[in-house]
Amino acid sequence: MDAYLNKGIKEIITEFPEVETILNDYDIGCGPCNVGICLLKDIVSIHQLSVEQEKELMERIAAAVEPGKSHPAPKMQKRATPPPPKTRRYSPPLKKLVDEHVLIKRWIALIPEFVDALDLESEQGKKRILDGIDMIRSFADKYHHAKEEEILFKYFDETADILKVMHEDHTRARSLVKAMQKALAENDKKTLSESLTAYRELLAEHIRKEDEILYPWMDNQLTDRQVGELFARFARVDQESGIAPETYEGFVRRLEAAFQKKENGS
Amino acid sequence: MTTFEGCPGSRTMQFKTSEENPMEGPAGKIRSQLAQWPIQMHLINPAAPYYQGADVLLTADCVAYALGDFHREYLKGKSLAIACPKLDEGQSVYTEKIRAWFEDAKINTLTVLIMEVPCCMGLLQLARQAAEASKRKVPIKYVVVGVQGDVLKEEWAAA
Repeated sequence: MDAYLNKGIKEIITEFPEVETILNDYDIGCGPCNVGICLLKDIVSIHQLSVEQEKELMERIAAAVEPGKSHPAPKMQKRATPPPPKTRRYSPPLKKLVDEHVLIKRWIALIPEFVDALDLESEQGKKRILDGIDMIRSFADKYHHAKEEEILFKYFDETADILKVMHEDHTRARSLVKAMQKALAENDKKTLSESLTAYRELLAEHIRKEDEILYPWMDNQLTDRQVGELFARFARVDQESGIAPETYEGFVRRLEAAFQKKENGS
Repeated sequence: MTTFEGCPGSRTMQFKTSEENPMEGPAGKIRSQLAQWPIQMHLINPAAPYYQGADVLLTADCVAYALGDFHREYLKGKSLAIACPKLDEGQSVYTEKIRAWFEDAKINTLTVLIMEVPCCMGLLQLARQAAEASKRKVPIKYVVVGVQGDVLKEEWAAA
């Protein structure tokens, strides 16, 4: 069983699908992850379970991967993170990123209706699509992901699996945007719909991982000095980016109103 | 003839930095992590060099007596000011000094340490008022200490 601690989670789940269900019972949602290269031992430690929960989880996984054998759960290394998180809320710089997620989540929640209403014929329809793609490129990527990649992640070991996963998600999102732009230029409604839907699925899962796992873990590692630095650096990026979040909030609000109107039949 | 340098109790002094001041002293004694003087809110100068860009600790008077690990866990590496929100007079000066930390000294973070007793919340309130009055925003953390020295709460309040 000890050998599995150093294996990628996707590999383990592929071999033993019930491990996904076991992890789900502890709110560890590795199943839908697109990458799945995180090692089992890192996944268990990063979720900061209680000692009892961790023991129980490891025993259940041990039973799943080596059925019929009776053995104690493998010993995990001493936790690198302090046991109970003293800080219950996000620190101000991470709270800022979580607040930016809220607007992105509002946008991706609208994508199914947006896809249904895709209009590549009229100028107005094309403008709406361009605005949607711009929301992804400018707000979600240039304004938000850049803060993570160019600032936040640099405070941590970027070779860590969880950060590799985040980088890969960003790269995949960028390739989907390219596909959207190409599809729009070629009037390819099918590819445009598929790319938007894939983006929605990718980002929903990506944001959940960040809000629920990555940021709380990071907050427990950051010193007060680093929190203050991050806050000041994020504020500088906001000021210098030339991107006004209000513009994108307006876009989302207009879409929400439009689709609400349609739902009400008015 | 010697130059008059003012009251020794309020003369600005900077001691060793936290890097130069290890926790352990001779024969296992714990070294003080205080790196400056003065510390009382009426006596401090918010423009003193040790507040520039610093992580500042604003502590209710009683905290250091209640919290056993105050020096090691909280004071180390930080600049300090102390006050009593219940008994001190002229607290509008405090609000102005905290605002000056934010805007002029450009401090990095402010941590407010208070006791669990209700009137101690006044110190956090002062910090919040100063933050509202300040154009420059800074992360503010608050720590509530129980009368038996336990840390009851530690949270980022706002920025």
